[in-house]
Amino acid sequence: MPTSSDERVRIGDAEFPKPFVNGLEFNAPVHGTWNIVHIGFRIPEAHQIYICADNCLRGVVMTAAEMGELGRFSSVVLEEDDMTHSGRIEETTIEGVTDCLRKLAKIPPVVIVFPVCVHRFMGCDIGYIYKELEKRFPDVIFIRGFMDPVMQKRGTTPDQRLRKAMSDIIPKLPVKEDTVAFAGSDMPASENDFKKILEFNSKTVKDTADCRTLEEYLSTGEASLFICQYPAGLMAAKAITQRLDRKYIYCPLSFDFDTVEEEIRQSGLSVPDGFFEDGKEACIAEMKKLKDLIKDTPVAIDYTAVPKPLSLARFLKDNGINVTTVYLDAVDGSEKADFEYLQKNFPELILHSTMHVSDRRPVRSNENVLAVGQKAAWFEGTGNFVNMIEGGGFYGFSGICEFIRLMEDAFNNSKDMRDIVPRKGLGCRSCI
Amino acid sequence: MKKTYRILPVYTGDVSGAASALYEFGGMTVIHDPSGCNSTYNTHDETRWFDKESLIYISGLNDIDAITGNDDKFISDICAAAERMKPRFIALANSPLPYLNGTDFKGICRVLEEKTGLPCFYVNTNAMHDYSMGQSEAFLSFAKKMLQSPEKKIPNGVNIIGMTPLDLTSTKIELSGYETVSNWGLNTSYDEAVRAAEAELNIAVSSSGIAACKYMEEEYGIPYIKGLPWEGKPSDYMDVERKPSVNFIVGEPVISGSIAAYIKIKTGIDYNVIATTEITDGLLLKCDRKCHGEEELEEALKEADNIIADPMVRLISPPNANFIELPHFALSGRLYLKKIPDLLKPGLYYPGI
Repeated sequence: MPTSSDERVRIGDAEFPKPFVNGLEFNAPVHGTWNIVHIGFRIPEAHQIYICADNCLRGVVMTAAEMGELGRFSSVVLEEDDMTHSGRIEETTIEGVTDCLRKLAKIPPVVIVFPVCVHRFMGCDIGYIYKELEKRFPDVIFIRGFMDPVMQKRGTTPDQRLRKAMSDIIPKLPVKEDTVAFAGSDMPASENDFKKILEFNSKTVKDTADCRTLEEYLSTGEASLFICQYPAGLMAAKAITQRLDRKYIYCPLSFDFDTVEEEIRQSGLSVPDGFFEDGKEACIAEMKKLKDLIKDTPVAIDYTAVPKPLSLARFLKDNGINVTTVYLDAVDGSEKADFEYLQKNFPELILHSTMHVSDRRPVRSNENVLAVGQKAAWFEGTGNFVNMIEGGGFYGFSGICEFIRLMEDAFNNSKDMRDIVPRKGLGCRSCI
Repeated sequence: MKKTYRILPVYTGDVSGAASALYEFGGMTVIHDPSGCNSTYNTHDETRWFDKESLIYISGLNDIDAITGNDDKFISDICAAAERMKPRFIALANSPLPYLNGTDFKGICRVLEEKTGLPCFYVNTNAMHDYSMGQSEAFLSFAKKMLQSPEKKIPNGVNIIGMTPLDLTSTKIELSGYETVSNWGLNTSYDEAVRAAEAELNIAVSSSGIAACKYMEEEYGIPYIKGLPWEGKPSDYMDVERKPSVNFIVGEPVISGSIAAYIKIKTGIDYNVIATTEITDGLLLKCDRKCHGEEELEEALKEADNIIADPMVRLISPPNANFIELPHFALSGRLYLKKIPDLLKPGLYYPGI
């Protein structure tokens, strides 16, 4: 089955896991997702330093500026002479980072350093750079970030590696069996069955996405169990649990009842009587309300809203919701079963690329569409959308119920899409 | 250390500048880059997405293609996109990795012209310069490739050159006795831009318009002046004499120089320009100066009495200096977007004149 060279394809005709041909890339003016700057600031008191060319620097420094966090951000500009003189890029990086730190009123306890693509391509001796920096600033914990998008097509993305690097500084503390930590996500756990079950089990719950102090962040090293609910954080969760010799559970927001039940049961945690039955009933009741409300309104979903967009599409379709389009560019391996299910049972469902060249001129219908996610909202030109990224910290039956309520709310109340979607980093402070 | 920034952002980069300059000219601009340049430009350096489309893309370069210098995918992807989107021309912009591996953009342009039948040109960027350089290169490259000797001249026809949202928000220039032939490049179009050689006068409203103006002067005999045209007539800000002072205007030299000239004419007060963008040759008076980077600018402002600058410059200004905010999109981006005044109406940004 050929991969589509068009921007849209029926799922019945689509190829797994890459439905679309790679080509020139379009970037929609939709920016609610987090980048490495937002992620790095999740460590309280951490200072970020980027070493890169003007144009590359502009994006990250303005991210920090729009967050009102320029005080925790410094930069070193690379110029042509750094590329053409042997050893200059190491020198500029070391002296630049040193100068940045010495200009601060107080040396921060944690510094995330971000070399870039050109450091890799020039064969820069990164190990030497950190050795020298650690010698100059022995009290500083240096986190080894990287802003190298050139690597992301064929390997891990910069944000996956950053999450891992951020977890590398969490120390191996004496284990506390009653402590559990959420880790690897940007969104703190909110409407989340695991959070409820942990409370039921009288566990102390920590969350790396919701720490107020560096001490609190580092104290997650005493957790006996780590829960990761975001795919880009899995690498970090695996690494830290291996290093600390702890267990982890990986359970991104799924809309499949059996998956939820299985994941919770496998955790070994006690659940209240009737937990699963009540949860399922609540979801079904909420879904019925949604269907009665929106009837056959077309629904479009994008991959930035939830980690498993096809799981959501399947759940909605199975419950009679008129999902017409899923915006994504590739299908995650964990969604293969959902992909095949939809392919077989709902072959007319459209998969739509978010970066195809023709997306620069999106064709929008006059029909009122209910969108899930900012990109779906922009492509469909609708203010009726669920404003969410990365699953919003939701999980389980309570998460599904709350998600459906957000769809109801989005249907009833239009938002100012043009004002909302250009803002970076949903959930972060925005000064624009 | 001149290369470090403690608190200020850098200006918009050259790649974004190139894309901004060509935004409305009807072509397809392709940035040969993995991802970052496109996102930066898209998010922080461009305001027109919701109102006006433009074919601006990245190549999505990966490590293997960069290491091996594989241009085939780049070329075939551009051909496919051109076939689909039907641009009037193709412009290619460089970024750090293709710059490092010496990608032959001019050669690629020749191949693309042959394959697509479209005019194709290279904008010499590498992401290591500011937006004024990228805009300047883009305008110049467009002029060299797309302009032709005109069959007729438009009497008193004038081009406005060097105008993008990175510097200016409005195109409401009223020039009595003149007819605007083209604006490079805000609120304009391909059909307008390619008529530029029919004009009898060019006005460079920013430093990024100078190179294209010089080219048109040499090639088509069109004279140019530089400066914002206030009060209905073109005037060159460098004709207004100013003396050394401790009042400073910080920013792009043509716009800052125009403001300084205007203040001098209206009030007799001397302001000196501190040019913080890269193109300054022939654009500063003796009392003015150029500053590169945050450290140098902070030092230059130490003795200031009055400062007109983007609000972010306040962060490195002496606390006792009188500070007049003049937001500049190419510096503070979206932070003060709603407060950017119409620079063609000077009374709005310099109270008291």
